[in-house]
Amino acid sequence: MSMYKVGKGVRAPLLLNTVSVTLLFMIIGLPVLAIILFAIFPKVNELSFAAPFSQFIPQLQDERLIVATLNSIRLALAVTFSSMLVAVVLAYMRSKMAESIGRMWDVLLLIPFLIPPYIGSMGWMQLLQSNGVLDQWLNINLSNVLFSFSGVVFVITLHLFPVIYFSAASSFKVIGQRYGDVAKIYGANSRQIFSRILLPLIVPTLLSTGLIVFVLTVEEFGTPNILGSRFGFQVMVTAIEEKMSDWPIDLSGASVLSLLLVVIAISAYLLQMFITRRFACKLDNQTMTSVPSKNVWFSMVSNVIFFIVVCLAVVMPIFAIVSSSLMRTVSLGLQWDNLTFNAYTHLFFSNSDALSAIYTSLGLAAMAAVITAIIGMLVAFTLIRLKPRGKAVLDILALLPNAIPAMALSVGLILTWNQTFWPVTPYNSLFILLLAYVCLMLPYPIRMLSNAMKQLPQSLDEAAAIYGANLFVLMYKILFPLMIPIMVASSCIVFAISTRELVASLMLVPAGTETVATYVFNQFDQGSISSGMAMSFIVIVISGALIALGQYMSKRYLS
Amino acid sequence: MKLKNWCVGFTLLGMVCSVSAETLTVYSAGPKGLSKELVAGFEKETGAKVSLYQATGGKIMARYQAEKSNPHADVMISSSLGHAITLTKAGELLAYQSPNAKHVPDFLKSATYVSQGTAVLAIAYNTQSKLPVPTTWSDLTKPIYKNQVTMPDPRKSGSALTLVEGLSEQMGSKAWTLFSALKANGILIPGANKAALNPVLQGAKSVVFGAVDYIALDLKRKGETINVVYPTDGTVLAPRPIMILKSTKHAVLAKKFVDYMLSKQGQTLVAKTLILPARSDIKSDRPGFGELKLINFDTVSAAAHAEQTRDKFANIMGQ
Repeated sequence: MSMYKVGKGVRAPLLLNTVSVTLLFMIIGLPVLAIILFAIFPKVNELSFAAPFSQFIPQLQDERLIVATLNSIRLALAVTFSSMLVAVVLAYMRSKMAESIGRMWDVLLLIPFLIPPYIGSMGWMQLLQSNGVLDQWLNINLSNVLFSFSGVVFVITLHLFPVIYFSAASSFKVIGQRYGDVAKIYGANSRQIFSRILLPLIVPTLLSTGLIVFVLTVEEFGTPNILGSRFGFQVMVTAIEEKMSDWPIDLSGASVLSLLLVVIAISAYLLQMFITRRFACKLDNQTMTSVPSKNVWFSMVSNVIFFIVVCLAVVMPIFAIVSSSLMRTVSLGLQWDNLTFNAYTHLFFSNSDALSAIYTSLGLAAMAAVITAIIGMLVAFTLIRLKPRGKAVLDILALLPNAIPAMALSVGLILTWNQTFWPVTPYNSLFILLLAYVCLMLPYPIRMLSNAMKQLPQSLDEAAAIYGANLFVLMYKILFPLMIPIMVASSCIVFAISTRELVASLMLVPAGTETVATYVFNQFDQGSISSGMAMSFIVIVISGALIALGQYMSKRYLS
Repeated sequence: MKLKNWCVGFTLLGMVCSVSAETLTVYSAGPKGLSKELVAGFEKETGAKVSLYQATGGKIMARYQAEKSNPHADVMISSSLGHAITLTKAGELLAYQSPNAKHVPDFLKSATYVSQGTAVLAIAYNTQSKLPVPTTWSDLTKPIYKNQVTMPDPRKSGSALTLVEGLSEQMGSKAWTLFSALKANGILIPGANKAALNPVLQGAKSVVFGAVDYIALDLKRKGETINVVYPTDGTVLAPRPIMILKSTKHAVLAKKFVDYMLSKQGQTLVAKTLILPARSDIKSDRPGFGELKLINFDTVSAAAHAEQTRDKFANIMGQ
């Protein structure tokens, strides 16, 4: 800590700490606090503190809850492990790949973030269920596989493994070839190099992104709701959602259950910290990057594997989305004479709602991407370099938005900001959606940037300090340029997820406004599946293009 | 710096919000097209401004509950009678009898709410399935329909709950035998109304037990191979209550809105969606009150033990 207190910047660490803590508290802490209060005081929504704790015992006695809790944990563990497996294999191959091809795969693997999970699940259903596309074309009926525990794990894994993949790929790159070369000289084969050298080196990254996947799975609603309800599979989030939407509505009870999710997330966090501390090894001076493998067979196999994964995670869902957007009627299915572009022409030519929903969502998502990247950078620096006392609390706070169901967090945001004692409030305006997106998405940049900062050698900071750079110069001249690629990557993820965020949007959207997701939802609700799917596809294309553009620009102008 | 900008932003925003304080705020569940047309018609007729929040019945109720310390909604249109009964009991609704409500049958109104229109619970089936068309609820327990039937979950769909209540009121313990037989015949209960209808639409299943009729009728109109049949042993209604909240600061405008919704103009818009309009003197292209055999039962007293009914049903279905 002391080296950051040089010259003019003496007060800077304190200032940065204060700003980070205040921001996190305002954005995440307040709504979480509101949920805790609601769980304790069932009438706090009427500003009454009557009957404290009266909800806990009745809520926790529900026997269905125990099954749902176990299901959540089992599902999250299965998804985390399968995502790690897929991600590590791909990331390893990626590090040996020529940069040009590798970058293409990277762009393709961003697409799963753009596909809303519930739409992806609907797509898989349409492909695999009885009388679905595979059944009609190839006579293969996989509905028993899809509507099973493994089916749910499969669909969520395809959606979430990129979270681990991107961090693992950049770690493999940073770790570089050198240790591998040394091992080779001493006679190690490539399997040994992978399991003895590379794997331990990326364990911290794997664990911390694995934690995100774990928590995201626990929080995932769309897929368990759509697929799980077909075979009676209930998880905690579906139970919470039931309390929040189904009559009689019980927001306080839902808050109690949300706290259980928080407990699960914090336990997972502590376990991750424990494992990291025991097994991870620390390296400084990681400057050599890996070079592409010259083995033709290896690169062919890698490309084939990438191709298969991209087919499953990108092509299949997109195919399902596009084909449903083209169907004149759902019941006549995928036949030539049932295809039409009506849904698209309708969206563009006779419907101003759709366009304004697209503008609203893209604008909000872009702002959320920029704001989260800046706050993420601040918080990451505070967490990794300044290491204030109570940093674990900050770290956990930064994880919570992923752990708490978006619906509960939305209730927390309403309880916080819909109060008469605030002189001004974002509630009932588009700012509440921006605040909600920032709150929900902050974990991504914070995690990604802190991981990256962990891997930047501290010696850079020390060198700067020796030459008299104060904290701001250090951040501005050294860390910032090095972190730009990661900031862009995390902004892309935030942008992608924000353009399609449904649950909080539906709950918080100010009267008279629509976002892409609420528009799509309302279309489905009216039975216009094709027009909802057409809208989803257009937004996937537009935001995909914007992300590609952003990455291109950042490579071209910033590095 | 950033914080300061935010503060400025919020201040401006606060000013914008306070300017728009003269508008009526409506929270509405159900067909978006309908709510928007009603709002547009009302704005045109009265010159008032309406801001509309459109979501599912559950979401509008959740938002209303969460906002309780500082309420925004003046009028709510729900898709579930249960919401109106709960809020009446809690004393949160403003009593109002619209003059236009005199054409509305008694079972669609009370002192505190009046229905905009009503859905009718029916059997919906995919005409491509080639199965015989069922005529009674219990037909669907026959072996020919094995693994072909879906039903909305009464825990998630207020209308499905009303159907379970109605049948158990009419048939007594035989209703529960019926549900057990359906379970034995492989009935699928995948979620709310849409979740039950979609597999039938896509051809993975063939028949919906307890479909919301106007949704299926509308799909049929759009060319889907789906049809609706009303069981001869009687069915139930799923009214869509309009409620004025006691907390409203625009009671006069809110009452005008209810009047408009029950006017000939408003009801014609309702009829266009194939929802059965609440007023019996409005024509529509769908079976009206005269053509339907309805089960008469006391919905308010049934609502008092709704929880037990749902649990009993869930038990039978092994949920």
